[in-house]
Amino acid sequence: MSESPESLDQSLALRKEAFNQTWNEPTGLFGQLATVDNFLIGMRFLVTSFSFFLVAGVFALLMRVQLARAENDFLGPEVYNRLFTMHGTVMMYLFAIPFQEGLAAMLLPWMLGARDLAYPRLTAFSYWIFLFSGLIFFSGFLFDAVADIGWFAYTPLSSPAFAGKGIDFWVVGLGAAEVAGVAAGAELTISILRLRAPGMSLDRMPLYAWAWLVTAVMIVFAFTTLFMATLLLELDHDLGTRFFNDQKGGNHLLWQQLFWFFGHPEVYIIFLPATGVVSVIVCTFSRRIIGYTWIVVAIVVTGFLSFGLWVHHMYTTGLPELSLYFFAGASLMIAIASGVQIFSWIASLWRQRPRLLTPLLFVLGFVFIFVLGGLTGVMVAVVPFDWQVHDTYFLVAHFHYVLIGGAVFPMLAGVYYWLPKFCGRMPSERLGQWSFWLTFVGFNVCFFPMHILGLLGMPRRVYTYPASLGLESLNLVATIGAFVLAAGFLLFVFNVLHAARFGREAAANPWGGDTLEWTLPSPPGFILYPRIPFVSGRHPLWEQETPPIAGESSRRITELLDHRPEHWRATILVDVLTGQPQALVRLAIPSHMPLLAASGVVLVTVATIAKLFLLVPVGVLISVAAIIVWLWPDRKELELQRTSTLPAETGLPIFTIGSRSLGWLGMCVLMAVLGWCVGTLLYTYFYLQLYSKEWPQGDLPMPEPIQAALVFGFVPCAAVACCAAWRGMSRTRRSPGLIGLAAGCFLLVLFLTMHMQLLNRLRFSPQTNAYGSVFFLLNWAMDMVVVIGLGLAASAVIRLWKEGEHWQMFLKLHVQMATHYCYFAAAVAVVIYATLYVSPFVF
Amino acid sequence: MLSVSEILTWRLCATVVPNSQSIVHPAGPAAAEIAWLWWIMLIAFTGVFLLVIVLLICGIFGRSGALDRSESGPNESKATWRPWGSNGFIVAGGIVLPVLILTPLYFYSLTTSAGLRMPEEALRIRVAGHMWWWEVRYPGSEVVLANEIYIPVGRPVRLELTSTDVIHSFWVPRLNGKRDMIPGVENSFWIQADEAGIYRGQCGEYCGTQHANMAFEVIALRSEDFNAWMISQTEKTDESEVLAADRGLQVFLSVGCVQCHSIEGTQAAGNAGPDLTHLGSRRMIGGALLPNTRGNLSGWILDPQAIKPGIKMPRTYLDADDLQALVLYLETLQ
Repeated sequence: MSESPESLDQSLALRKEAFNQTWNEPTGLFGQLATVDNFLIGMRFLVTSFSFFLVAGVFALLMRVQLARAENDFLGPEVYNRLFTMHGTVMMYLFAIPFQEGLAAMLLPWMLGARDLAYPRLTAFSYWIFLFSGLIFFSGFLFDAVADIGWFAYTPLSSPAFAGKGIDFWVVGLGAAEVAGVAAGAELTISILRLRAPGMSLDRMPLYAWAWLVTAVMIVFAFTTLFMATLLLELDHDLGTRFFNDQKGGNHLLWQQLFWFFGHPEVYIIFLPATGVVSVIVCTFSRRIIGYTWIVVAIVVTGFLSFGLWVHHMYTTGLPELSLYFFAGASLMIAIASGVQIFSWIASLWRQRPRLLTPLLFVLGFVFIFVLGGLTGVMVAVVPFDWQVHDTYFLVAHFHYVLIGGAVFPMLAGVYYWLPKFCGRMPSERLGQWSFWLTFVGFNVCFFPMHILGLLGMPRRVYTYPASLGLESLNLVATIGAFVLAAGFLLFVFNVLHAARFGREAAANPWGGDTLEWTLPSPPGFILYPRIPFVSGRHPLWEQETPPIAGESSRRITELLDHRPEHWRATILVDVLTGQPQALVRLAIPSHMPLLAASGVVLVTVATIAKLFLLVPVGVLISVAAIIVWLWPDRKELELQRTSTLPAETGLPIFTIGSRSLGWLGMCVLMAVLGWCVGTLLYTYFYLQLYSKEWPQGDLPMPEPIQAALVFGFVPCAAVACCAAWRGMSRTRRSPGLIGLAAGCFLLVLFLTMHMQLLNRLRFSPQTNAYGSVFFLLNWAMDMVVVIGLGLAASAVIRLWKEGEHWQMFLKLHVQMATHYCYFAAAVAVVIYATLYVSPFVF
Repeated sequence: MLSVSEILTWRLCATVVPNSQSIVHPAGPAAAEIAWLWWIMLIAFTGVFLLVIVLLICGIFGRSGALDRSESGPNESKATWRPWGSNGFIVAGGIVLPVLILTPLYFYSLTTSAGLRMPEEALRIRVAGHMWWWEVRYPGSEVVLANEIYIPVGRPVRLELTSTDVIHSFWVPRLNGKRDMIPGVENSFWIQADEAGIYRGQCGEYCGTQHANMAFEVIALRSEDFNAWMISQTEKTDESEVLAADRGLQVFLSVGCVQCHSIEGTQAAGNAGPDLTHLGSRRMIGGALLPNTRGNLSGWILDPQAIKPGIKMPRTYLDADDLQALVLYLETLQ
């Protein structure tokens, strides 16, 4: 059938219009609240977190004024202690990571050639939670309830016995921020692994994506650990559990172990994305990157090792020396990974005579400062030396060199570098150079003297120091430097705002970059890649069109998908390793549900702070309801997908299951998070046992393994039932699946009721002692895991019941997810049962 | 003769101030070991740092090779740099160099650590951290001090560290590193002073409002002086002196001081605050905050919150006569 060229043009125009319509984001204030666009949300992350950065910076300036003179009385101890707590907390939780996440949410789909991130609504949810958690943190100032326990909140200073009311704002705000972090981590992991341009194999991925791949995985595990730690602390406050009560079998070092298990990876979570930015800028300015593979290996090694270093924050706690040297060795090894990256960048820049424009200047400043900070980092990893400088200004100097040098300088470099992409205008080079030199000189004048102050014995977190210690002149120099640094940051802000408004119009690829984002219009708008690019090398924009050999079919797919599908949002899912297209996956459209779900979480947090515990279930209900609506498939969309001709044309399936579907991948991350939560509790359990003379503590009865076995056994039975349902699905009849899943649901409900009775019969409570606390919490964790499984399985039953003739197409994934989740729940049940009810007899 | 470390120290900061907490002016064997470690690392790492910066500057400003920017297209990106050469550079700088420096450093730190082990034979002293002062006890005698630790010169002192409330950290920088004091845990640590003198120490772990002013002094006495001091501490206070300051004692007992403080030989037996049995002989009050003069002591008693805001000791309302009597009495508590 041949059509006339005119009608072809017309149909193309219609298609484009429909496509653009589909990808357009709602406007207006109310519509903006529903947006899921990665650029808008990323920009919100950047602006919000940078505002927090400026506020925390003002806190730092106030502290520096106080310390400029010995025995100064500009700020009292209460105010000073609050300021340093908030400075650290805001910088670490509300600036450094969210800023990087925002940058990643924007850049990664652009760089990878995807139309959006994998879970657009999750991005929105993550932002709202982050925003609200920041507001909760700061609202403490309104109620004169600001935490003064330091960003690390060591117990017992943060325990009910000693902490003021500020602790609630701190713990709860932090808990919410962690949820946002885990959500972003999950999102970015899956997006990088699966949503790339066809042909972009793992070894062609930009280094920025590599850095983020490792970082995102780290975020998921590190933040989950911190979430559990803060949960235990909050339970100590609100429920009267005894995790951190040394009179009742609790353990203060447990907090430190959990906190630093998060806290050390945290540093690398901040640092690794920054190295990704550096790699991109170095690559652009020197027109090459030397040692791509080396850098990738270094990033991966850093990610792994960073989880094996946490004890180097605890050298002075009196742990056995042998264990300290294990961690010291790991700490030195990570220096090698950083060294490899540094030398790769130097090799890339070597004799390339790059133009010293602002982004590169900031990168060079980064190398200078970070190398110094890295070397002092090696020093403090050396056990005996750390015994002296631990918690002194030497440490303050060290980690500001690492964090400002290692992360903030690359961030500023990145903003200068991508500003033309964000707003289509160039930043002023002259102002840029000025802002660099002010920042660089100010930074060093501020923080270099702190090394010497530490060596002269100035501890950190002191609001004052006696004149007789001889620390005054260096402190004054540091204060002057702090103000110069602040001037540099302000000039940066001015330059960015000025450029966004009045800057010279930017060329399409002003720096001559090699990554895909420079093919997009500036700013890119809502509609990314109507035609998804095909990638045949590491530097897509630098490589000439090579004659297609292997990628012919992939290239054809990108052509066929030009401005298609028109009526629903989709992007290509590729093979993790090779970048071969594997499926056409649907992406979510704008919705208010993420905001509503986040509001539910906020209600929970606010109710916790205000001790209105009756409102907690209300908040939970709102969130759960919002999430159900958010996830519930749209009938019309399903029909469009079912009738689509794209699978036939491109060979890419739409209704996929398993690792080729975003739903299943997302559930895997959820299981990893839940599994890690349970793992953290198991660690808590055995840690407490290790340091207790008797177990169960305080003459509590031994657990009853036989009764418990009968109850816990229901969960594996449910898994078997679901398995049968999943097997039955492959046949044409619906009833085996329906019966199996319903039986699974029934068994899970049976478990929940019996389990509740089992717990009710116990003659101790979570308040009895630390054993009681961890015993109950692990049991509740089991309930939590089961309730989620019940939700998955029950919703599958309902949909299966109601679905029409296409149930097999639409519901396969759902049933598979419910089944696999039940396997997971069964494994958790076995582990928890073995720990709680068997291990006390064994150990 | 000046040792290397003394020269370097001198360069870093000309003189030791009397109150110094300087890590690089050690006054005991443990601190000296650590100071050595520092100087060695400083020299080695300065070398590494300079090397990296020189390489970076040479790389950027060095003569551009065959790959001239004006001519080269991006496609030639691999033209001049043979992969083997660049790999060699990365391996040399990123792996070989750190391994060559870090391996000996690791083993050197192990030997340093061995040198820092606690000597077997040592004088035992128990130190408990309180928000925000230090309680010092000498096992085997009844001596109880606050915020000052008398030790003999040249003899290792074994410290048994605990805390009664939150985590503190014991730290006398010129004598040794720091060790945390954790409630529910007893950590042991040691110090030793080579010369008689006063060494300032300070809490090393943030412990709340007045963490900054939780300081103390280690007073190292020659062996014979230390023994004499010990005997003087264990002697019972002379009755006649007590009588002379009788009015002061009455004030002490009546205005509420006894809720928290104790003085041996009187009814005062509170244990929330420092033991005042030897207050008169203390050099400093308030946690090494103020010299123990009559004026400072009076000011402290009347309004400690003005001097060390946030501490548990409340203001005391006394008229001038009572205050004078009280201070006179406290001064007799040698």
